[in-house]
Amino acid sequence: MVTVTSPTRHRAATEGASTPPVAGGRRGGTARRWWWFAIPAVALTIVFFALPFLANAALSFTRWTGFSNTISFNGLDNFISLFRLGILGHATVVTVIYAVISMIAQNVVALSLAKALQNTNRINSVFRSIYFIPVLFSPLAAGYIWAALLDPAGPINQAIGFVIPGFDFPWLGNEVSALIMVGLIDGWKMSGLVTLVYIAGLNSINRSVVEASVLDGAGGWRRFRSIEVPLLAPAFTFNIVVTLIGAFSALDIIFATTKGGPGDATKVLNVAVYSQYGQGLYGTSSALSFMIALLVIVIAIPLIWWLRRREVHA
Amino acid sequence: MSTATWVTHRKRGSGALKYTILAIIALPWTVMPVWMLVVNSFKTESDSSVPSLALPTTWNVVENYATVFTEGNYLTGLRNSLVVAVPTILVVLLLGSMAAWAFARSTRMTLRGAYYLMAMSIILPPAIVPTVFLVTHLGLTGGVAGYMLALIGTRLGVVAFLATGYIRGLPIDFEEAAEIDGAGRWQIYWHVILPLLRPILFTVAVMTMINVWNDFFFALYMLKGTDNATLPLSLYNFANSGQYGVRRNLVFAHVLLTSLPLLIAYIFLQKRVLSGLTEGGVTG
Repeated sequence: MVTVTSPTRHRAATEGASTPPVAGGRRGGTARRWWWFAIPAVALTIVFFALPFLANAALSFTRWTGFSNTISFNGLDNFISLFRLGILGHATVVTVIYAVISMIAQNVVALSLAKALQNTNRINSVFRSIYFIPVLFSPLAAGYIWAALLDPAGPINQAIGFVIPGFDFPWLGNEVSALIMVGLIDGWKMSGLVTLVYIAGLNSINRSVVEASVLDGAGGWRRFRSIEVPLLAPAFTFNIVVTLIGAFSALDIIFATTKGGPGDATKVLNVAVYSQYGQGLYGTSSALSFMIALLVIVIAIPLIWWLRRREVHA
Repeated sequence: MSTATWVTHRKRGSGALKYTILAIIALPWTVMPVWMLVVNSFKTESDSSVPSLALPTTWNVVENYATVFTEGNYLTGLRNSLVVAVPTILVVLLLGSMAAWAFARSTRMTLRGAYYLMAMSIILPPAIVPTVFLVTHLGLTGGVAGYMLALIGTRLGVVAFLATGYIRGLPIDFEEAAEIDGAGRWQIYWHVILPLLRPILFTVAVMTMINVWNDFFFALYMLKGTDNATLPLSLYNFANSGQYGVRRNLVFAHVLLTSLPLLIAYIFLQKRVLSGLTEGGVTG
């Protein structure tokens, strides 16, 4: 804790010009007085978020291992060697696929649930509570539970076995289905929260617009497509971006289910970061971690811009 | 008049169908996973080796849960999780809302810049490797203190961002009235702003609590040894400690106990949690 106050004091000193803080001084130091309130939070964010983030970007271009004390600039070597080893490209593709599956699952489920449970009444509240329960489980817990449910001899296959006798497909043991399944488990865990954002969005739509469309003879689907979807644009922006970004940083569910396997089929970037880190290869570990940040910058930020622009037009 | 009654009738009919479908989907969605977790945590190791929804043939409840407490270091994990989560949330709410007040009411460019920086911290992923080394250089290797600082530094952004939006929607009159009455900055914050922020802070507290309580990513890198492990980390260590593969009955008992504090809190607070998360202006 002591270490945190020192940058705080330093910043305060540079910011605060020469006048000491005077109690009740109305005019002179308003900006400085505002800074006193912002400084603790801003300082902690700088020290424990911004500095590590910038350091990570820089370290991506260095040779740095646990076997030597020197850190030396090596340009794009980390990225090139990770690419040649087939780690970088593969992990990036797997991460994007995982994130897209999870994002689509969350938004489709959540929007459907939100439509069904939009009105606040007793029975809807009960269903909202029930569908929210997965949000409370840790991603690890979700992973352990679903790994058992999806076991070749587990309940899911037993149920399918009633229709197709002897069905024993290894959902988490097949390279294609494993990636889809871990993405869906993530979707299962998070949908309840996304649902609430869509409910808030639906309820913020002006009632009179919806009622006017009913009088004009618009059916349920037409009303949803032509009125609610465009007016839900801010909720779409928020949910699509948040679910996508969250899934880029996935680790827990995969650690609890496939550990990156079978083969490397579910080895997302954060799993690769951990395995490089575990081998003492900090430079390449940082490079892979920086790749997640690049995904956010290259995919999510333009996406925010594009979705926001649609909001204005809608 | 007749159209109105026709509409409600139609609604009632489709309502029954809707709730039937919702109830049927809730079975695999919520009931099956929870049931799976609970029954298997009561089974013997050999009984749970083939995962099924059947009731235990031999009930092994006491042994399983006792093992979670002894081998699974449950109580240490629970203590550490509480020691981490409670102060982290309080600090994040206090400092985040203080900053939010400044961001919302000052037009200073430097503060505007700080606001954008904090908003960026929500979007950009945490940089784990330098964070671990930063904490090591601060002499806090492997302990909960460094871990908490990393959590606080990466969670403040959400609080500040949402509270800033909320304060901008509040009339400034209360603050001005308090200032005319001679209240200092801190008094205004404490007696005027903080009470007004209660709805949004409750929402953020719930989100942060779920997020911090379940954090595994930072814990994996930053907490060393069973003495420092929070519940998710002790669960993970426990699940990987079996010499003969996963002992599902024991892992599930640990999962259940690890999830229990949040589940119990949810049972008591669900109404406020759900309405808070829905009306909390997350869409802002």
